[in-house]
Amino acid sequence: MWAMIVKEFRQLKRDRRTLAMLVALPVLLLVVFGYAARFEVSNVAVDVVGPQAEQVAGLLRAPFQVVDVDPAAGKSLVVSRLRDGDAAVGLVTGQRPFLVLMDGTQLFAAQAAEGALARMTATGKAGGSPAPAIAVRILFNPKLKTSWIMIPGLTGLILVFIGTLITSLGIVRERQSGTIEQLAVMPFRPWDVIFGKIVPYLLLASLDLLVIVVVGKVLFGVPFVGNVATFALGALLFLLVTLGMGVLISTVSQNQGQAIQLAIMFVVPQVLLSGLIFPISSMAAGVRWIAYVLPLSWYIDIGRGVMLKATPIKALVEPLGVLAGMAVVVLGLAMLRFRRDLAPSVRGGGAITADPAAVPS
Amino acid sequence: MAVLAETRRVTKRFGTFTAVDAADLAVASGEVVGLLGSNGAGKTTLIRLLLGLLRPSGGDALLFGVLPSMSTRRRVGYVPQTLGLYDDMTVLENWSFTAAAFGSARPVLPESIRDSKDELVGSLPLGLQRRVAFAVAFSHEPELLVLDEPTSGVGPLSRARLWQDIRESTEHGAGVLVTTHNMEEAEQCDRLVVMVDGRVAADGAVADVIGSRTVVQVTCDDWRKAFAALEEEGLIVQVQSDALRVPGSPGQVEEILARHNLAATVATVPANLEEAFVSVVTKGTHR
Amino acid sequence: MTWGLELASVRFGTRTALDRVTLVAAPSTVSVVVGGDEAGKSTLLRALVGLVGLSGGSSRRPPKSEIGYVPATVGLYVDLTVEENLAFSGGAYGVTGQEFAHRSAELLERIGLADARDRLGGQLSGGMQRKLAVAMALLHRPGLLVLDEPTTGVDPVSRSELWRLISAAAAAGTAVVATTTYVSEAHRASTVTLLDQGRSIATGAPAEIVDAVPGKLGVVRSAVQPRGLSWRWGTTWRLWSPSSVLPEGAEPVQPEFEDAVVIASLAYERGV
Repeated sequence: MWAMIVKEFRQLKRDRRTLAMLVALPVLLLVVFGYAARFEVSNVAVDVVGPQAEQVAGLLRAPFQVVDVDPAAGKSLVVSRLRDGDAAVGLVTGQRPFLVLMDGTQLFAAQAAEGALARMTATGKAGGSPAPAIAVRILFNPKLKTSWIMIPGLTGLILVFIGTLITSLGIVRERQSGTIEQLAVMPFRPWDVIFGKIVPYLLLASLDLLVIVVVGKVLFGVPFVGNVATFALGALLFLLVTLGMGVLISTVSQNQGQAIQLAIMFVVPQVLLSGLIFPISSMAAGVRWIAYVLPLSWYIDIGRGVMLKATPIKALVEPLGVLAGMAVVVLGLAMLRFRRDLAPSVRGGGAITADPAAVPS
Repeated sequence: MAVLAETRRVTKRFGTFTAVDAADLAVASGEVVGLLGSNGAGKTTLIRLLLGLLRPSGGDALLFGVLPSMSTRRRVGYVPQTLGLYDDMTVLENWSFTAAAFGSARPVLPESIRDSKDELVGSLPLGLQRRVAFAVAFSHEPELLVLDEPTSGVGPLSRARLWQDIRESTEHGAGVLVTTHNMEEAEQCDRLVVMVDGRVAADGAVADVIGSRTVVQVTCDDWRKAFAALEEEGLIVQVQSDALRVPGSPGQVEEILARHNLAATVATVPANLEEAFVSVVTKGTHR
Repeated sequence: MTWGLELASVRFGTRTALDRVTLVAAPSTVSVVVGGDEAGKSTLLRALVGLVGLSGGSSRRPPKSEIGYVPATVGLYVDLTVEENLAFSGGAYGVTGQEFAHRSAELLERIGLADARDRLGGQLSGGMQRKLAVAMALLHRPGLLVLDEPTTGVDPVSRSELWRLISAAAAAGTAVVATTTYVSEAHRASTVTLLDQGRSIATGAPAEIVDAVPGKLGVVRSAVQPRGLSWRWGTTWRLWSPSSVLPEGAEPVQPEFEDAVVIASLAYERGV
């Protein structure tokens, strides 16, 4: 039995991917549960409008963080800023009662705000001053339902799953069975092969997306109030990023086991750190940058915005732009590497063929 | 010459399917026995019966005169087709593992593989890997060696060297059972056992298996036309360099060629082992 | 139009996989490349079909649509049926409709899989998989058929059927290039090239190679390996002397093709 133990250790010491996972996974989990897994929001972005904006703004303490004070503006500005995601809470002064509007899609921010407001009125009461009349209205997700904010994120998860994991397995299978060599010799252009492999998964993922949105609506009442085209664009860009990642993973994996390992290392951080479960705003500042590097975070912005808030496309330029940029980089890299598998590099002496147009690149 | 492994009319059934049917096989010390047969003919099942990995449905399978058991396992060395080596360990590490597993007192690495002792098995060329696999199987000095396609995929010189290792082991008294698809390899064996559909269809030295079979050899200027003509008539034609070989009678062949206006030289020659084997197999399946 | 390689070299970094190898693939002929496992056989074929670029020399091949290639790993889809595999190949090479139906029926008949159209590739035996792969490569009647170790690990009956398929293709005009580790198969070819560590150490018709064997070959019946360049042959030893004189105890014997190949490899190894 000792011989078996020694043998396993020897093999493990040479298996770099498994070792990486053994090290990386605990580190990741430590980071997540140490710094990122918080539901308490310590920073609620507030807009204050209306004639008494300045005074009220001065009264606000943590967790509120005043980001805009505009005495000339009214309720409509607050609503559009909440819709665009520029603030989580808006106070409309100059009317009785004060109107506090909250973005219901920022579940934990809204809860934090509610709690803070309750404390404020309590201390106010205790201090003797009359409680100002406050009307709290929660927009976009009035019942603060978790399922409403999870479902859009779930669509992203499915896209990551199909886009990255399943695509990479599909391509690695060809490599394992040796059929990729065959493809390279057949009269296919590298383009034909790559897109031939990606398109089925693109269609499947889109179908899955549709199913989830419909089921979300039917079973959980999750609304879809925004522009379908905007949503589709966001989904498409995100899919391109995940598909590109899938192709990239397949070019560095020799077998399905390796592909799965890499895909896991790509998917798990996104599940935990993209704002799907734990809000990004409650992550410790030092690790918050990780969320901005993950494509799923940007997609969730788009998904939640369009489905629940009808966020217009001009407010989503940033996440769409980031996704587009990521797609270009990842797909570009993936194509480059994949082409190398399919078409040789001709160095030195040339190849004379009967048909010059058939000289491989 | 002690008989090391023996089956007496051994039979193995899987449900309604009979994989091995009353097969007789014997391997004695100092000899190399080759087991030939198409895939599905029962070779692997027969070996498993011998090694004690399967229990017979009928008849006997004996190792060293007794039923296969844990103690007999120590006296057998087995090299499966996949070599049974760990690609991500060095030659020496593989050797130590097997030595520890069989409890042998750390004998010395044989000269043939000593130079590569610190190389990862996965990085060695196939010929060398096969020699390592053989050496590792032989490390605990087994009396019986069972090798599954020992030189598949290996070049002519490496094959000769591996057979050298195999022969040396028989000189130490071991008996070797080899399964093979390779005619050159079969020709190296002392005895051949040919299996067809679970039954032993032939058993004897190479010359005995070929027997007095003959084929017709055709030399023709336009071999393509001759090939096409003979094929059309339903004959099985094999090409050998610049000649064609067909089973049948010279008269029949001449007649066909004449009908197609082809001038050719026709002669009767002894069949080679492959042709004999194919004939044994096809006759066997048409019983 | 003949195809092939002329003084072709392939280098991977510092390693020379192929060193100035010349190979001719003429229509209606079967050229076989024989060599050990690291000889460079696969690299040679890859250079021929254009899967790797040359670092020196030149290659001549028809356009992709006229090449049929079967890699050593077989290259068929185990999760597609026999019919579907052929259909994929047909689609790729533009053999469809009536032509495909006719041609695929013809090939399936030849390889004995006419009744197994709906069997999954993964359910076929090794020999049958290879036959199917070769059929897929022959579907479009290529001018050049390239096969990498088509019969390694294949049972003798399937191997013999594969060679009939290959011979039939050659008889129909295709130029066939195949690699093998079985010397007896090399014997079937009209041209043999012996490859060792990337170099072509002998080339020509089998009879020519035997004639070109230098020195003298003898048989020694002894228990111990005789001194000199020798190798096992069954229970005897073959002993080769580079000169025309054999040492004592060796009976002279005419070399067979198999002997010629071993002699060439030995001679090359010893730098003789």
